[in-house]
Amino acid sequence: MPFALHLVSSHGIAPAPPLIEMTGIQKRFPGVLALDQIDFTLNPGEVHVLFGENGAGKSTLINVMAGTHHHDGGTYAYCGQALTDLSPHRAREIGICPVFQEFSLASDLTIEENLFLGREICRGGILDKAEMRARVARVLADLRFDLPPRAKVSTLSRAEQQMTEIAKALLQDIRVLILDEPTASLSERETERLFEIIADLKRKGVGIVYVSHRMVEIKRLADRVTVLRDGRRVGTVEAAAVSETKLIEMMIGRSFGAMFPDIAHRPGRVMLETRGLTTADGLVREADFTVQAGEVVGIAGLVGCGKSELARAIFGLNEVQSGAIMLEGQQVTQPSPATMLQSGLCYFPSDRVAEGLALARPVRENMTLAALNLPDFVKSGFLRLRREKDRAREMIAKLGLAPPDPEKRVEFLSGGNKQKVMLARGIAREVKVYLFDEPTVGIDVGAKAEIYKLIKEVAESGAAVVVISSELHEVVYLSNRAYVMSGGRLVVELRGLEITEAAILSHFFDRKPATTVGVGAPGTI
Amino acid sequence: MTERTALRPAIGPGAWTRLLRFFANYGFLPVILVALCLGFGAVEPVFLTVQNALNIAEQASYLIVLAAAQMFVLLTRGFDLSMGVIVSAISVISAMVMVAIAPEGQGPVLLALSAGILTALAFGVIAGVVNGTLVAFFDINPFVVTLGMQGIAFGIATTVSGGFPVFGIPAELTTFLGQDGAWFGFLSPPVAVCLLILGVSYIILNHTVLGRSLYLVGSNTRAAEVGGLPWRRHIMMSYVLCSLITAVGAILMTARTGTGEPSTGGGLVLLSIAAAVAGGVSLRGGEGRIIHVVMGGLLVSVLSIGMNLTRIDGFLQQVVLGIIVIAAVFLDRLRLRIRS
Repeated sequence: MPFALHLVSSHGIAPAPPLIEMTGIQKRFPGVLALDQIDFTLNPGEVHVLFGENGAGKSTLINVMAGTHHHDGGTYAYCGQALTDLSPHRAREIGICPVFQEFSLASDLTIEENLFLGREICRGGILDKAEMRARVARVLADLRFDLPPRAKVSTLSRAEQQMTEIAKALLQDIRVLILDEPTASLSERETERLFEIIADLKRKGVGIVYVSHRMVEIKRLADRVTVLRDGRRVGTVEAAAVSETKLIEMMIGRSFGAMFPDIAHRPGRVMLETRGLTTADGLVREADFTVQAGEVVGIAGLVGCGKSELARAIFGLNEVQSGAIMLEGQQVTQPSPATMLQSGLCYFPSDRVAEGLALARPVRENMTLAALNLPDFVKSGFLRLRREKDRAREMIAKLGLAPPDPEKRVEFLSGGNKQKVMLARGIAREVKVYLFDEPTVGIDVGAKAEIYKLIKEVAESGAAVVVISSELHEVVYLSNRAYVMSGGRLVVELRGLEITEAAILSHFFDRKPATTVGVGAPGTI
Repeated sequence: MTERTALRPAIGPGAWTRLLRFFANYGFLPVILVALCLGFGAVEPVFLTVQNALNIAEQASYLIVLAAAQMFVLLTRGFDLSMGVIVSAISVISAMVMVAIAPEGQGPVLLALSAGILTALAFGVIAGVVNGTLVAFFDINPFVVTLGMQGIAFGIATTVSGGFPVFGIPAELTTFLGQDGAWFGFLSPPVAVCLLILGVSYIILNHTVLGRSLYLVGSNTRAAEVGGLPWRRHIMMSYVLCSLITAVGAILMTARTGTGEPSTGGGLVLLSIAAAVAGGVSLRGGEGRIIHVVMGGLLVSVLSIGMNLTRIDGFLQQVVLGIIVIAAVFLDRLRLRIRS
């Protein structure tokens, strides 16, 4: 058995020492305290979920566990022995195996080459391919993963790469398995299989650190849950004894009501509509989608389901192959960012650093970046600098930017403030349709609440708002209507109270387009 | 992410922060410039005379004009390797135009000078449009485009002139735009033209949509596109402005020697990039101000005049310049780190 354990044989009776015992762990990155006094224990045969928003410190913590980062304070003991100078290689040797979201696979090598990368079996200095092949076949068979061992990793889908990563971790004897949102790209069937493997490993006494923010998974798998927020441990709770609401409130650090404002949706006329929209890259297929003035429409779906590409195609960033885009009833023939902005539609990209902001330039210039063709800021080719400065100050005050300095270079702002600077372009010019792509990714809770407030304000003032998000609670609590996208298609449209986390999740793997609009079947996962 | 904690060294916020901010904004250059002047002055007291200062200003003005030209493309993460040879080509062609109309000043001199200058500017615009179109609209790497243009311009410069300098330009060109001329009785023409170019560049960069856009495009092209800016057109314009200003530099240099020189241009690419980058224009795009170009041009000129006065070997001077470029880029990185 590839993941049989020769080292540990705790059958749940003898009080074994914790596999991992961290006390007061601290990790500082330049300018940021990423982890502050974290205590964490992992017992044999336990699934311990790390729960928190993006940027809460989950990734840093598992990176410390796996030896990728070194903690600069506190102690880290493994099976009762203090670990110092842990390297990723050493961690694997002693049985701590991480499966990160960013895959560590070499894309030009095959699956079997990847599995043994860095620990190839040799006989007399020569690779023993036959032996390696046999072992790869065995582990894949054990896992019942349907993967072609000779296929190049670059030809695999994200889900297949994920399975390869898991197989790689389980190729050796392990005592601690770290899974970082492993189901983010797995289908229902594959997820089910992963859960069986986890149950199997638990029985064998392996400790599992499981990073997730999906409630259904936590309910199903977790023994204990540690909630992190802004690099601090909010608490560790028994999974069976805590409610969903309680967990989310621990995560966001405030009550639900304070986080998600009540939005008074008043759907008016249809502002934006797509008919049979298909993109040239095939990531969006025959999307029929509408958003009305005065409402927030959510779009949920897995990474790569096409939800982002839908908005990008509308904004002219992805090439449209067929179908129509109607803005205020007028068909848009050649969408481009310039023309769409001119007609009052603005897309806010998810990757604000890569696509949203000129980092080396000051806040003021970034705020007016998308408004340089308006008479407000420009007169016959010349900038109206004084006016621009005044408007920048107004926007800074409105958005609560800290520090309130229009000349500060954007790269030195925190994630939340960067996001606000990018959102300012929705204030700098008149926008009637807002397309927010992951509007709160990587920003702190306070900034999130402010951005939700901004979304509420623009929707209530009559704009049409689309929120594309991988954070399910964002879609659930902001939307008047919500679409679920899967495999490039809008598979279901949910309204009002139908919009629940379970209903959305149950459609993540649908492959048929939404022919009938109806209530999702909650609790099918 | 939490708010970045500010640097708080022991000296206290006032003096230290101000010093750091000074370095962050202007680089180490002003300090190095002063140190160099004092150093050369100590070895060769002539260096610190008013006469020499004027000389430096004059020498530097040619370089500063070219560095300003280079800056427009550096801002958009490009560069223009063809600049030096374009100077040669323009020098030769405009000289031939002037000679054809008024050989040795025999004929309509004013017409000859205007035609020569217009030809130079037109050639500059054409070269810029070609470079800019290929870079901006065809997405070809500026290295390849401007290297190719370098070959083309070199071919033109040597073919039309047969490889020899073009003599017989009306002397009025030199008296009007050469070093010995004096505008309003005191202003050296190259310095005056340089100041004019700097002024216009300043206005373009800081007060027009085009200038703003160059900074934004250079800092993040994708963001400029997503923000709806006509980024391709603006990148193309940066090459046009670059070559147009280069043409002005070419006229000045033709006036300096009074001949159309097919081979002066070679080293100017390195010098212009060296001056701009040493001054603080970032090779990563989106950063750089007129003052940087001025200081960089002064630095290179101070070095070369200082090394001449202290009789440092000409080839060794090349080595020093090469080191300056590399050191400048290194210091640029350092500056960035200070800032964060």
